[in-house]
Amino acid sequence: MAKLFERRLTPADSPLAIISRTTAAFLAAMLVTSLLFVSYGANPLQAYFALFHEPFATLRGFGYTLARTAPLALVALGTTVSWRSGFSYLGFEGCFVIGATSTAWLALSTAPGGRIGHFPFFLFLTVAILFGFASGGAWAGLVGLLRGRFGGNEVLISLMSNYVAIFILEYTVSGPLRAPGSLPETRLLPRTTWLPFILPGTRAHAGILIAIVAAGLVWTLLQKMPLGYELIVTGLNPSAGRYAGIDVPRRIILAAFFGGGLGALAGMVEVLGSQHRLMDGISGGMGFVGIIVALLARLNPLAVIPTALLYGGMSVGADAMQRRANIPSSITFILESLLVLLVLASDVLRYYQINPSALWRRIPQTVDGQVSE
Amino acid sequence: MNHTQLMGAAFVVTWLSASLRLAGPVLLAALGETLGEQSGVLNVGIEGTILLGALASFLASYYTGMIWIGVFAAVLVGLAASILLAWFYVTARASQVVAGLVFNVLALGIASVVYRKALGHSSAPESIAMFGALHMPFVSDLPLIGPVLFGQTILFYLTLILVVVAQFVLFRTNFGLALRASGENPAAADSAGISVARMRYAGTLISGAGAGMAGAYLVLAQVGLFRESIVSGQGFIALGIVIFGRWNPLKAALAAFVFGACDALQLSLQIFGFKAPPQLLLALPYVVAILAVSGLFGGRTAQPAALLLPYVKD
Repeated sequence: MAKLFERRLTPADSPLAIISRTTAAFLAAMLVTSLLFVSYGANPLQAYFALFHEPFATLRGFGYTLARTAPLALVALGTTVSWRSGFSYLGFEGCFVIGATSTAWLALSTAPGGRIGHFPFFLFLTVAILFGFASGGAWAGLVGLLRGRFGGNEVLISLMSNYVAIFILEYTVSGPLRAPGSLPETRLLPRTTWLPFILPGTRAHAGILIAIVAAGLVWTLLQKMPLGYELIVTGLNPSAGRYAGIDVPRRIILAAFFGGGLGALAGMVEVLGSQHRLMDGISGGMGFVGIIVALLARLNPLAVIPTALLYGGMSVGADAMQRRANIPSSITFILESLLVLLVLASDVLRYYQINPSALWRRIPQTVDGQVSE
Repeated sequence: MNHTQLMGAAFVVTWLSASLRLAGPVLLAALGETLGEQSGVLNVGIEGTILLGALASFLASYYTGMIWIGVFAAVLVGLAASILLAWFYVTARASQVVAGLVFNVLALGIASVVYRKALGHSSAPESIAMFGALHMPFVSDLPLIGPVLFGQTILFYLTLILVVVAQFVLFRTNFGLALRASGENPAAADSAGISVARMRYAGTLISGAGAGMAGAYLVLAQVGLFRESIVSGQGFIALGIVIFGRWNPLKAALAAFVFGACDALQLSLQIFGFKAPPQLLLALPYVVAILAVSGLFGGRTAQPAALLLPYVKD
């Protein structure tokens, strides 16, 4: 007799099954969030309209969406490289902050009259990218070293290194780089170091182009280059990799370096593109939301960009919603995390099928109460 | 005793009693997590569970005016959150790190929304009554050790009792044996008739209860109000303490006091007017935690062999 949940003989992995599972998860997440909207006395349809209209259907809002997408996508790309290499790095909040801090320091030093002196923009940008990447890469690479050579636990080390990085930022903006004034922040970076705006009349900046190029490079690394293949083998089966002659600890350190470098570029584009100064709390949780973006994109570098666009847009829409309808923007934390949790949960349907008929068809019983087959 | 000696003694008393006070919540969370990890589940979601527990204890004691109801509510919420987490870890066999991490974001959203809904109307943060320091006859008046050891809140002594209980349950009962078997060799445990899934649910629930109560400890014995940044990584530090304590409740207690001492150093130096960049000292407990789990000091061998590995029955 059919049970409500029945174990499948083979996992359901057809494209149709994957698409319907994921759609079901999305609908369920939106349904739960609708209930939250209702609790604020808002019509869920109007709330969703507000959530998506401003970021995607207005030019100004779309500009903000692109500006938010760039750092999220870069963090997600960092997650993709390191996680696919079997390095479960969670320290992107820290890399973001380290990248932002080192970029702000560089920009202030190259200001006219600064410590280093003036650079033309393209030289400055090249140096900033290399310097930011290297600083974040070294920050995460240290964790890779502890994991690769000493067997340390990268999950916990990276989680705690986030707090250390945040204290470094707090120290920098309240001490050496603090601008005169009451807030812990640096002074405005010189205009010559800002990323150019790419859509007239909006705040969209060239960071999105950097993110798209990075996505292409990460895709090329993982799909087309021998090194990428070795990284993926390291992630899928380290013993097989070792047997095939891959220096596994060295690949792990490299994966950490790439991941951390990309995470630091997120901080760089945020400083040079959006904030134009360094301040406390500059990351605003993007180091974690970026990981969620990567997970939802199933660690596929090309799927990262559209997913980051969705999440960047939602955060812009949430701010608009808070301004207009007084619904707290933290509701999007719930929506964003529920999406991933429900997609994870829907994986159960790979192994089990649901027989709704079992709900209304009772198990037939014989006269003396015994179950018949 | 001259002036410097007096100052020194006063500093030591302030520092050590603050160390024990600050060690309390992380120790509670680490105790639960130790049992959870012994069953094979790494519950990264305790960070969010502590936050939900803190919120529950705050709201419950705010509305009822009774502190113990707050502790009770926090444990209940911790248990409820960990049923959800355990479903992901054990039944759905999702990656434990991913599920726990994303749950932390969910918990942050829930805590923020619920707190605003409940108390959004008041502009200033509302504070509530807290557990006071106990005063025991004779021993509390002893010099030095009196205020340090015998002047803590009742939650602290409860935590100490739970250390002994956890040690006993884990190493001296059939339940503890089954728990450790599920984390060490689930296939063998299964063929010995132990339900690995049930044991791992139990382990996760215990770690959730500990984390919920840790949230209550933060609110009701340390801060007296709720804010979204109240946990700020203490759940992750508890995970570090579990490793540093080699998955053993008694050693975890020692590790927690070391972390408490690092944490309290900043506070005590500030009270006594020492000038140092506060961030340097604030980062100290995290740096010590990183070193503890860095692998530089060994410890991999004490880890439950099946930690993080979902169990699939053949």
